[in-house]
Amino acid sequence: MALAEPDGITEITGAVRQGLIPAYLYNDAEVHELERDRLFGRSWNFLAHESEIARPDDYVVRNIGDDSFLVTRDSDGVIHVMFNMCVHRGMQVCRAERGSARTFRCPYHAWTYKNDGQLAGLPFHADAYGGDTGFVKEGQALLAAPSVAVRNGMIFASLDPDAPDFETWLGDFAFYLDFYTGQSEAGMEFRGPQRWRVEANWKIGAENFMGDSYHTPHTHASVVDIELFGEPKPYKRKEGVLWHAGPGGGTTYKLPPGSDFRSGLAYVGYPDEMIDRMAAKLNPAQRALVDEPGFMPSASTLFPNLSFVHNWPQTDAEGRITPFISVRLWQPVGPGETEVYSWFCVAADAPDDYKAASYKAYLMCFGSSGMFEQDDVENWVSITTMARGSMARNLLLNNRMGLTLDGEPIVNQFEGFGGPGTAYQGFGEHNQRHWFSMWADLVSQAAPARQPMAFGMGEQPA
Amino acid sequence: MSSGRSGAPLPYTDGRHQMAAQFLTEEAHLLDTSDFEAWLGLMDPRIRYRMPVRVTAVKAADEVEVQTMHHFDEDWYSLRKRVQRFQTDYAWTEDPQSRIRHHVSNVRTFEGSGDELTVESAVLLYRSRGDRTAPSLLSAGRTDVLIPTSEGLRLRQRDIEIDESVLRTQNLAIFL
Repeated sequence: MALAEPDGITEITGAVRQGLIPAYLYNDAEVHELERDRLFGRSWNFLAHESEIARPDDYVVRNIGDDSFLVTRDSDGVIHVMFNMCVHRGMQVCRAERGSARTFRCPYHAWTYKNDGQLAGLPFHADAYGGDTGFVKEGQALLAAPSVAVRNGMIFASLDPDAPDFETWLGDFAFYLDFYTGQSEAGMEFRGPQRWRVEANWKIGAENFMGDSYHTPHTHASVVDIELFGEPKPYKRKEGVLWHAGPGGGTTYKLPPGSDFRSGLAYVGYPDEMIDRMAAKLNPAQRALVDEPGFMPSASTLFPNLSFVHNWPQTDAEGRITPFISVRLWQPVGPGETEVYSWFCVAADAPDDYKAASYKAYLMCFGSSGMFEQDDVENWVSITTMARGSMARNLLLNNRMGLTLDGEPIVNQFEGFGGPGTAYQGFGEHNQRHWFSMWADLVSQAAPARQPMAFGMGEQPA
Repeated sequence: MSSGRSGAPLPYTDGRHQMAAQFLTEEAHLLDTSDFEAWLGLMDPRIRYRMPVRVTAVKAADEVEVQTMHHFDEDWYSLRKRVQRFQTDYAWTEDPQSRIRHHVSNVRTFEGSGDELTVESAVLLYRSRGDRTAPSLLSAGRTDVLIPTSEGLRLRQRDIEIDESVLRTQNLAIFL
């Protein structure tokens, strides 16, 4: 039965809502197409951070699914997100991935666009088109992303013109987002991204960062063994709280007994001046999360494919502990292939020696060469390879940790947690099920209606 | 990539070039045979080992490498940790091990400052894992600073110019 048919998709969504994942979802062309059209066609997708286009005329080129977008800061400082396809014959207008430019000239016929997207130059407009009698140039521009939003300097876009209001959609996830990208009034500095392609399905990374504290003690045993990062010992990991709130969720580590906001942040390596800025920036409820009984955010995911990580490894031979933050995007490029974009991010006004140590912490742990990430990707490639065959169609993977057979939680929700949403202490796949319930919601809806637009045709309908 | 080199490359008949070329060949052998401890022994304790991220930029742009982001930016401590990790029983990404081969070529040796040598080379790393996934290739240029010691040459600095903006290998659980 075709998946796009209602009964076909209901069979899958029914299973995943019960915590049973048809294994082939991790490598299937039809599922990939449904996700592209229905899920990525409707969701809010992260593109870039404002600090990557810090100066007027800066730009980066980023993808949502197969679509290339120009993300620019125009000469007046205003941010634009535009489909990177010439409206004339469809050439990719900008083929560099970053730089600075006031205009973009299509290599094919030299149509030229200003960095706010407006069509500025059209060679032989009078001769070739009879001027506006053949092509109305005024007001024409590259196709804008249907919906754009900025939060903590992070630029998001949706391909859906009727996308839900970003802030409403983000909901209580915003509370947690600030721990990663709202640490200081000065904003954050994003560096990178490192980009690399892995033969793994994009969903696996998203789910893993959202709530898989269970894999840490085993998959990452080597980094504990070499005393790079002391926290992921099994007994420590299970004391952490798993939370989900709004369209995301994440993991935490429990801080040592007796910690408060300041000593908890100092324990993971933040210097006093950064703690002062966090104390000023975060609200009392956010500060209470770190206060006794303190929890420190670690990995998390904002649906669908944006993940965050905050760890605090040892960054020199003298035993200095330094935290780092990485933001990463799991960009699907095929049913069994993902392009990873991994940024290092740090408070823009952090001291230079902290920035250097935090950067080192990031490179050692995550990203293309990171010692945590290396072992993660090995697992994800293997899952994706196994999911390709016939037998995987007969296997429902168990995503029910933390539930009885009757569907009741094994432990009650954790009451002493300071943050909004739903929280459980100990191991469980609550967050992964939450992620898959959002996945199910979107893949069961039809893709947004297409609204083709013609250019240069004046006020007349095309 | 600044390396402090000067003048034309040394002739192939120059003993310093021959020592440098042999150093790179022997180093590649240590990596290909997973003798990471001996490999680490070739590093000067002040080693800087860097591989910046490269980007696709317009020809006129200065920025083809993002010097604020690297794939590797290592000192002796972090190289040591990477080597130690491979020696644990839990470095799953290299157990079973990849079959790897460093093909080193285009070696050009220059006089550096003092008795240092600056050595440029090309490296092609072939990496094959398991029996299900396709092998990967990494191509890079390297600029090394080698210093003579009583125990032979030691690597003081390596700047790696990777020939991809988007790597097509699952991770960098390797050294170039």
